[in-house]
Amino acid sequence: MNRSGAVLRARGLVKHYGRGQSLVRAVDEVDLEVPEGQTLAVMGPSGCGKSTLLHLLGGLERPTAGEVWVAGRRIDTLGERALARMRRRSVGFVFQAFHLVEELSAAENVELPALLAGHSPREARRRAGLLLERVGLAGRARHLPSRLSGGQRQRVAIARALVNDPLVVLADEPTGNLDTAATLDVLRIFEDLRAAGQTLVIVTHDERVAATADRLVSMRDGMFVDDTRLAAAQPRGLGGLGGLLGLEG
Amino acid sequence: MGSVVLVLRLALADARRHRTQAAMLLLAVTVATATMAIGLSLHGVSDALYAQTRAATAGPDVVVLSGESGPEVSAALASLTDRADVVAHHGPYRIVYADLTTRDSVSSPVVVHGFAETPNAVNRPLVTAGRWVRPGGTVLERGFAVALGVDVGDRVTIAGRSYPVVGIAVTAATSIYPWGAQIGPYGGPSDYTGLAWMTRSDARALAASRRLPVTTAIDLRLRDPAAAETFRHTVADDHPVRVVRSTFRSWQFTAHHDKVILRNAQPIMVIGGWLLGFLAVSGVATLAAGRVAEQTRRAGLLKAVGAGPGLIAAVLLTEYLGAALAGDALGLTIARLAMPAVAAPTASRIGDAEPTVTAVIAATVLAVAVAVLSTLGPTLRAMRTATVPALAASAHQPRRRPRLNALSALLPTPLLLGLRLTARRPGRAVLQACSTATTVVAITALLAVHAQRERGYGLDGSTALPNLRGLHDRRLMIAITVLLIALAIVNILTFTWTTAMEARATMAIVRTLGATPGQVAAGLSAAQLLPSLPGAVLGVPLGFLMYLSFRVGNTIPPRLSWMAGVALATLVVTAALTVLPARLAARRSVAATLSAETA
Repeated sequence: MNRSGAVLRARGLVKHYGRGQSLVRAVDEVDLEVPEGQTLAVMGPSGCGKSTLLHLLGGLERPTAGEVWVAGRRIDTLGERALARMRRRSVGFVFQAFHLVEELSAAENVELPALLAGHSPREARRRAGLLLERVGLAGRARHLPSRLSGGQRQRVAIARALVNDPLVVLADEPTGNLDTAATLDVLRIFEDLRAAGQTLVIVTHDERVAATADRLVSMRDGMFVDDTRLAAAQPRGLGGLGGLLGLEG
Repeated sequence: MGSVVLVLRLALADARRHRTQAAMLLLAVTVATATMAIGLSLHGVSDALYAQTRAATAGPDVVVLSGESGPEVSAALASLTDRADVVAHHGPYRIVYADLTTRDSVSSPVVVHGFAETPNAVNRPLVTAGRWVRPGGTVLERGFAVALGVDVGDRVTIAGRSYPVVGIAVTAATSIYPWGAQIGPYGGPSDYTGLAWMTRSDARALAASRRLPVTTAIDLRLRDPAAAETFRHTVADDHPVRVVRSTFRSWQFTAHHDKVILRNAQPIMVIGGWLLGFLAVSGVATLAAGRVAEQTRRAGLLKAVGAGPGLIAAVLLTEYLGAALAGDALGLTIARLAMPAVAAPTASRIGDAEPTVTAVIAATVLAVAVAVLSTLGPTLRAMRTATVPALAASAHQPRRRPRLNALSALLPTPLLLGLRLTARRPGRAVLQACSTATTVVAITALLAVHAQRERGYGLDGSTALPNLRGLHDRRLMIAITVLLIALAIVNILTFTWTTAMEARATMAIVRTLGATPGQVAAGLSAAQLLPSLPGAVLGVPLGFLMYLSFRVGNTIPPRLSWMAGVALATLVVTAALTVLPARLAARRSVAATLSAETA
């Protein structure tokens, strides 16, 4: 965390693709601070740069200009190896297309980041078991993604994003591929995360998802056009999600 | 006609889009078919070269040799010319056994045939350089002269007498060098020996000067050359020739004996051709498997616009078949060019050497098999998939392997990734293991060949004159091994890149979860090394067994440290070769990969 208490901070963030007449300004001079425990929703039309912003914040892409700070550490100058380590410890990703490893079971998918982070197989399994129970999929732990519904896959993806108790979860259209019932399941989980004090950045088209946030940023043509604080839906607890789920200790 | 044009246009367009793959298929098929065509043609070519030499030198149908000499022996041999089935003859003539030494002090046993200065009706050696014998000069058999490094104008010492080499010639009356002596002194066994000619008087003088062993021979032409092999059985037991203990050499025997020098060459080339064919199938099948989703989508597109199964199969197979047949044509051309050197390791024969019809057919079948075997699966899958699912086809989903996943969880990240990547495509892992084993088999067999001590063709087995058969075998083994290694290298790059491309989404996901590019690259390398390990370990004993299956007599095993070194070096080279494609794949943008997968 930096002195301002921001988990995520971006200054003058720019991302261009192409050159000359085909230049695309995906993200254009964006400044952003996300304090610890805040749920930030980013909305905007397709192609406005929301997903690119998320990739830049998570270190999946490098900015053309500007700075990105995660937990007080500047990451846009880091090498690939250091970025990978940062993602392991500090960031969890949730994607619209789930991006589960198809040949791994639900539990094995959730265990994977824990194994990459150096946890023992036993500890990775314990964490995966707790998180799958938390997202209501304890009974589906051995199922392959192909045998799960879209909503169930997204819940596995959320569990996977949380397994290393990250400082921030970055979710890219997490309900974009889901029906209403599945969307509600995911929203419930995000509510729980918000209440537990988990820092969340959610890129979404879905106003129901945005309504669960503490703050809503609107984007257009790569720029922020609106930044609104929303009334907190529910009181939140103290401490991280790891504490809530009993992962600490 | 329209369909044919459409198929060709689509196949050409696809080949243009995948030039590297088309080039690899072309290369693999060319190498495999050239090797196989040469291997299968060797015996036929040897026969053809003998036949051409026989025609050019008025080769005898039968040579009758006696271990003794003298008027009675000559009379006994000459009496054969009275037979009704003998239509022409040359001789009897003297054969003197001596030692020949060149100016470079290379020495070899030699038999000197005493011939007339004028051409004979039968056994008329063809002079390829210089001129025919004259008093005081000698003519050397071409294979012998080449081995000695002697040319017209040089001087050689035979039994202590110096002679100028006035000519170089070939004959079909004797086997190729080093089997110039059909029988040894006094009718005993012969050693590796070269052949020289002198005038009759010079040969007589040479024999008398040192009391050298002399045998006598006569060359016969029969009314029915095909009966040469059974001629000896028609000579009565009480015939004078039987009394002087004679040996009959038919032209069929001589032609067959020519092939002794190729005894190992043919299996080396044929087995080499099959092994190269296997590596070609492995590489091309991997390429085809890597394109299966794309091919399925293509089939769906064709179905959607009304193409039938036949047209779809033709479109999908034509590109590979076309490249394979082009490779076949190139391979056969190379075989034709390389044939003289491979089929005639000595210079004792003249004539053109071309692949036999059987070899051309077999090589073409191999080329078609490579194309069909490697693309049939993906083609059938594409044809069987319904139109709509085909249009949205993605790569084949791997099976879940819970035990292996649990085991890999205990390993460091690169091995965890490598083991899981290997398990995604077990068939490819088997191909990779076999590919490595094939290479190690060839290298081990080559080492085993080099470990043997060979009797040279010089005096008392001196290696001053190298053993041409062993040398030829080693050269062929080196050529085959180099080709196998080249194809294996192409395969390793193909396997690694295809694995990386198929697993790019998974690897991108793993990167979002915190794996470093180095770990992903190491995982991709490990995925190739894991199956290579058993392949390398198995390849060593298999290679030695293969060598033993061809070897006769005492065998010296190569050093254990050499064989262990081969296995280790193969693994190190495999690891090194995977680094570049693995690193390139690992450095792909995660965001771009995930976006492409979602699109």
